[in-house]
Amino acid sequence: MKAIDKEACRPIEILMVEDNPGDVRLTVEALKEGKVRNNFHTVADGVEALAFLRREGRYAEAPRPDLILLDLNLPKKSGREVLAEIKDDPELRRIPVVILTVSQAEQDILKSYNLHANCYITKPVDLDQFLEVVKSIENFWLTVVMLPPR
Amino acid sequence: MDMTYAASAALQASAVILQITAAFFALRLIRVSGGRVSWILICSAFCIMAIRRSISLGQLLAGGPHPPNLLDDGAAVAISALMLAGVLLIPSLFLTIQQAAEMMRRAKDDLEIQVAQRTEELREANAHLSVELDERRRAEQRLARYTQELARSNADLEQFAYVASHDLQEPLRMVASFTQLLARRYRGKLDQDADEFIGYAVDGANRMQRLINDLLAYSRVGTRGKPFAPTDSHVICRDARDNLAKAIEESGAVIFQGPLPVVVGDEVQLLQVFQNLIANAIKFRSAESPQIQVAAERQGHEWVFAIKDNGIGIAPEHQERIFSIFQRLHHRSEYPGTGIGLAICKKIVERHGGRIWVESHPGKGSTFYFSIPEVKQS
Repeated sequence: MKAIDKEACRPIEILMVEDNPGDVRLTVEALKEGKVRNNFHTVADGVEALAFLRREGRYAEAPRPDLILLDLNLPKKSGREVLAEIKDDPELRRIPVVILTVSQAEQDILKSYNLHANCYITKPVDLDQFLEVVKSIENFWLTVVMLPPR
Repeated sequence: MDMTYAASAALQASAVILQITAAFFALRLIRVSGGRVSWILICSAFCIMAIRRSISLGQLLAGGPHPPNLLDDGAAVAISALMLAGVLLIPSLFLTIQQAAEMMRRAKDDLEIQVAQRTEELREANAHLSVELDERRRAEQRLARYTQELARSNADLEQFAYVASHDLQEPLRMVASFTQLLARRYRGKLDQDADEFIGYAVDGANRMQRLINDLLAYSRVGTRGKPFAPTDSHVICRDARDNLAKAIEESGAVIFQGPLPVVVGDEVQLLQVFQNLIANAIKFRSAESPQIQVAAERQGHEWVFAIKDNGIGIAPEHQERIFSIFQRLHHRSEYPGTGIGLAICKKIVERHGGRIWVESHPGKGSTFYFSIPEVKQS
């Protein structure tokens, strides 16, 4: 009973893979307005993202994220490659991956779902809409949805 | 001189003439027949006969022995008279034949000259035609090349507009988002100047965002168009009115919609044309409540649609300009908008092979026309 309580009370770990610091900051601001207590982590490219998830190098102490926000256009290793590696890894594939990108291209959407992305969202241009989207991601994935045990 | 003698002499003489004539004809026939042996022989025979007859005539005239079996006097006279008549007739007959032959020869020559002339004329006409044909072929090649270049440059431009507007979105999103965030968090917390500056920054970013979105929409007319299909413009116009229900209600606009045809086109884009034109008719209304008439008329091989309003109208000098991208006639505070609507209408109508134009006088309303060519459905 105690263990479950402890589990329920721990902050949610979110990993954002995004090379644009502006978007990172906006997301942080949006999450500040949200209700869910969270630890927000951010990495700026695909190689770093996989290192974080596999706890390699300086990420040896990194927590396992509950949710990954993944941009598609990233330096070094693209978001598609990162997504493919996550979903190919039996340890990581259960972590929900939300694609958050500017691309509205049909082929990007199709490819992402084919690689088992959990959802695909285009970044709204308008600030209010952006804040709303981040809040709804938080609400849906962290309070509505039942996630697998860690 | 007795009659028998005279008759005999005449007979002999006419026989000589006859034989010479015959020889002459035979000679002609030799020429005509290309020197055939039979004609040469006949000619020679006549010549010999004529010589022999001349000799006996000579003997007769010189008072030599009378030929043994001469005809009696009367018959001799008659025959010699006939012979003479024949002899007299022959040259004229010969002359007529010669004249006819001459005429035929001339006619033939004339004909040959004419044929040669016509052939020459035809050859010249042919040469001229082939020069013209070459010129036309070259012109067609030039035209095809220009069309190709134009299509490519158009495609390049569209690609440029699309990429530019798409890639511009990213940094602009940052500017717009953070100025908006600034406005949200700090309006009224700094001084008055700061609020004003933030206000301008937010307004500028918002406007730029609209311009870029409009540019994107404009470039998509060419790149995101759907294939043409039979489309009921009556339904489209009704949909446009449904989409504008709020503006129609607020302005108290009355829309009269006449019968509208089925045309071949892009449904989504044609809806946009109707919607933009009706929205403009409401937006640029005069003090009176808007009255808008939508009608269509068949003109030759195209349908001409007309959207007539009783709005503020447009001065003649501005009537071309309004169809250009981002051209506005009024200050933003009077009538908002980037000035993309009519440019998009123009691009859509032109994509359908039609034209768009306006007839208007300030204060007397405007009628916007656009044509959609009739496409035969096979």
